[in-house]
Amino acid sequence: MTNDKDSPPADPGNYDAYFTSKENDLRWYREMLRIRRFEEMAARSYTRGKISGFLHLYIGQEAIAVATKEVLEPQDRVVSTYRTHGFAIALGSSPGACMAEMYGKATGLVAGVGGSMHFFDRDNQLWGGYAIIGNHVPVATGHAFASKYLGDDGVTFCFLGDGALAIGPTHEGWTLAGLWKLPIVFVVENNRYSMGTPLERSIPVSDVTVKAPGYNMASDRFRVTSVAETAERLAAAAKLAREESRPVLVELITYRFRGHSMSDPAKYRNRDEVAESRSWDPLERTYNALMHKHGMTEEALEELDDEVVAEMEAAVEFAENSPVPEPSARFKNILVEES
Amino acid sequence: MATVVELPRLTDTMEEGVIAQWHVAVGDKVKRGQVIAEIETDKATMEFESFDAGIVLKLVAEEGETLELGAAIAVFGKKGEDAAATLAAWKGGGTAAPEAEAEAAPAAAEQAEQAEQAEKVEDAEEAAPAAEAASSSSAEDERIPASPLARRLARENDLELSSIPGSGPHGRVIKADVIKAADATKASPASAKQEVARPKSTPATGKDVDHDGRPYASFEDRPIKLTPMRKTIAKRMTQSKRDIPHINLTIPIFMDAAAAVRKELNGVLSGVKISFNDILIYAVAKALRAHPRVNACYTPEGLIEYGDVHVGVAVAVEGGLVVPVVRFADQKTLKRISLDIRDLGKRAKDKSLKPDEMTGSTFTVSNLGMFGIESFTAVINPGEGAILAVGRIADEAVVEGGEVVIRKVMRATLCSDHRVFDGADNARFLATLKKILEAPMSLFT
Amino acid sequence: MPEIQIRHAIRDAMREEMTRDDRVFLMGEEVGHYKGAYKCSEGLLEEFGERRVIDTPIAETGFAGVGIGAAMAGLRPIIEFMTFNFSAVAFDQILNNAAKIHHMTNGQHSVPMVFRGPNAGAHMLGSTHSQAFEPFYAHIPGLIVVAVATPYDAKGLLKTAIRDPNPVIFLESELMYGVKGEVPEEEYLIPFGVADTKRAGDDVTVITWGQGVPVALKAAELAAEQGIECDVIDLRTLRPLDMESVLESVRRTNRAIVLFHGWPYGGVGCEIIAQIQEKAFDHLDAPVLRVCYEDVPMPYAENLENLVLPTPERGLAAIREVSYAR
Repeated sequence: MTNDKDSPPADPGNYDAYFTSKENDLRWYREMLRIRRFEEMAARSYTRGKISGFLHLYIGQEAIAVATKEVLEPQDRVVSTYRTHGFAIALGSSPGACMAEMYGKATGLVAGVGGSMHFFDRDNQLWGGYAIIGNHVPVATGHAFASKYLGDDGVTFCFLGDGALAIGPTHEGWTLAGLWKLPIVFVVENNRYSMGTPLERSIPVSDVTVKAPGYNMASDRFRVTSVAETAERLAAAAKLAREESRPVLVELITYRFRGHSMSDPAKYRNRDEVAESRSWDPLERTYNALMHKHGMTEEALEELDDEVVAEMEAAVEFAENSPVPEPSARFKNILVEES
Repeated sequence: MATVVELPRLTDTMEEGVIAQWHVAVGDKVKRGQVIAEIETDKATMEFESFDAGIVLKLVAEEGETLELGAAIAVFGKKGEDAAATLAAWKGGGTAAPEAEAEAAPAAAEQAEQAEQAEKVEDAEEAAPAAEAASSSSAEDERIPASPLARRLARENDLELSSIPGSGPHGRVIKADVIKAADATKASPASAKQEVARPKSTPATGKDVDHDGRPYASFEDRPIKLTPMRKTIAKRMTQSKRDIPHINLTIPIFMDAAAAVRKELNGVLSGVKISFNDILIYAVAKALRAHPRVNACYTPEGLIEYGDVHVGVAVAVEGGLVVPVVRFADQKTLKRISLDIRDLGKRAKDKSLKPDEMTGSTFTVSNLGMFGIESFTAVINPGEGAILAVGRIADEAVVEGGEVVIRKVMRATLCSDHRVFDGADNARFLATLKKILEAPMSLFT
Repeated sequence: MPEIQIRHAIRDAMREEMTRDDRVFLMGEEVGHYKGAYKCSEGLLEEFGERRVIDTPIAETGFAGVGIGAAMAGLRPIIEFMTFNFSAVAFDQILNNAAKIHHMTNGQHSVPMVFRGPNAGAHMLGSTHSQAFEPFYAHIPGLIVVAVATPYDAKGLLKTAIRDPNPVIFLESELMYGVKGEVPEEEYLIPFGVADTKRAGDDVTVITWGQGVPVALKAAELAAEQGIECDVIDLRTLRPLDMESVLESVRRTNRAIVLFHGWPYGGVGCEIIAQIQEKAFDHLDAPVLRVCYEDVPMPYAENLENLVLPTPERGLAAIREVSYAR
């Protein structure tokens, strides 16, 4: 497994490097666009006061969720953070249920008890949805422990942000995963900011994978520029975890184009940095590939965009028209009632 | 159809906003996600990325203008569309109207819950009509300290709380008080409510009330059965006080020298710790030998001077006192006396003394110094001529040779039978005792 | 019936449940090769092997979280804390994950597992190692909290805890692992939420649990010598709470004290007293008193520790006070 420290990205104009068939690229573009439009709708609803609390957007990181869906086996699990709408949409959760969750409606993904930060969709392999930084790492490690204990051949994908690198539970989870050789892929989505604090001011090294040997983990590190490459390299990590039963650490260099949450103006980043990163936006690049490599027209892509917007507008409408939870719902699911 | 762009709520607490700067102009083509303006919110100036795509047909809001949330700020559409018509048809901000809608649903939910709660309240009301009646009928009870149970019992027995004396802390009326009052009321129904239950021995005077006019608590007398020991004490002490004319003389004794000797002895003796009481008994025994009249008793047939010196030592035990006897005390060493007293005292408390160890004393010493008593008089043990009552040893200011000095002072009171000897004999004995204790080295002569 | 120690009752419960259900495993510091810090898992490694009796490094957050993740994925973990004092570093896992997952996932997941270990002050361990954790855990909706004081209760309740579909905090006592008692040889379970009257009386209700039980029983014995008969109720589970038993007793005695190991401020004792005054106000003839730790960190020095701990004598004084005994 490679570990190119500073993985020089392919030339943005060289579509041959990581773009594949028109069919794949179009499918992935659509999935990424679904996530982006979903989140834009959510942001708009937030600006209209329909959604409250915290709203953390995934805009810019969509390719990771789409690539993950691509490599997942049915017995695998995805454990993520509070920035999890992208995974839900990519893994197959209903946009309506996701939007309704943020609206606090009874039809929400978890019936309105969780909100934006607590998405769970077990049927679609999304095992959370954790809003306390780093505390999902031992839990995900526990899923991998169960896979090994039961011999179910499953791999757990545990996503965490670079902001989770300093906190203790991350290290305890990694230690146990390494010690017990558990089938798990820890994916650090390095979007360069721990909330509003840049990486260089929050952890002592710039390359996260230098930590991997200390936990007896294999590692990989690259900039996310396309679904194809991301899927390929995540698949390699998953294979190692599955076949050799060992943890793997993957650092993905990515970028969120929005602030940490809706109320963050992101003044800590300069325009050039954002613009530079936007040039690597996998969505934008796939759009260009579809036009320039696969010969699609702007009109055709706008039509596709309109379809996706319509799907997401329908999700908003569904959320708006859904009932709020019954008063008695607050007493539900506190303890498992004996069957 | 053209789209009206609304002023977005960019923070959770934003109520109005100002367009700080437009990034687009009329005629520009705008993509979704493109920054179209900077908006000043309550927190910061934030970039506004467009939710809508299209050609900018009109910029409604001017830079620097303060606007309500949801206000129209621009119109986007296709080339040639009429912005004015779109604005005219636009029904106002997306914020206000749907919010009312949104409120309707929770309101319904709340109603349902209120109904649920109302049911519960009804249940509760049904269960507690008595409580309400009681609280309205006796508002004056408010300030009377009473346990909740006592209040309930008073209510059930139709008793005024104010008429029931409280025996709990701070005069709290407790269950027992109400039951007592209720029993009294039943016993004399005519005077119910006014009359308060009173124990037999201290009938109510009607004047035993506190500054609030409430009766003071009265507690039951507790009958205690006489133990054999109590009976004996009662019999003998009554006999003594009835038959013996007591004469009581007190003398102060300086114990500084005795204290020094005690300290020195305890430094050299092993297996024993000499107490002041041990030294006192030792000195008393020597003094008795010197004054045989004090070691005597009265009989109608004549006085008897005892040949031996057996000193009784009064020991307080549970339920009374006993007087074990140090036999032949004048012939024993201080160490022997100390060991005897330790053993007798211990067995007195264990109640394992044999009867003959508690009889035959010719003189008794009662020491209440350990309780801080300065001086007192005691009652002569029938069959003896005197008892020595000893108080505490304390540092006192004493004038000696015109100077104030600090001395360890102990007061000893000899209570004697006037029939056996007189005040002067009494005084001479005390003088000897004083001399021995103040100069214990004299014992070695 | 054979008499066994609490530590063996705990071991037997784990052994029986591990035999019964392959999904049950034991994980914690020194539970395997060392046989448990207090020898509660003696013989289990030999019987079940390293797959099911798992020694961990010192990483409570890590292995508590692994237990939670494994439970969500279908296993039935027993997580041993060497002492509940160490659970403090795993508190977030218990508070935010174990207790919340079932609710937060709208029932998609459950967390069937047991966190067990000794709780409360032992002897001269100082402030960081002498704490009672039931107020922290009983405060949290989504947890079940058990505290045991006899071998019979320990075995019956631990078996129930292991089978329960919810996260259970199971509090033992370092001082009481050697306490002996009769335990039937045949299988039995004790349901949660059922208190046990350890001594019957009509004068004062003494509510207690865990390490408080022997202290309360001794206090009741002293009170009986003075003619005051106590109803000593061992709650056994603190969440859910068997208030019916407590209220039935208080309505009969009209007076109550709560005796427990733990601080007075804002604990389970307060909850019980709050419920008594809410539900049996008109039956109270005296204020309900607490006998517990003094409101100070536990000192190390023996004389100071003895002053802080609840004693039978302090229990007796409270019993006399609520009885208005003069």
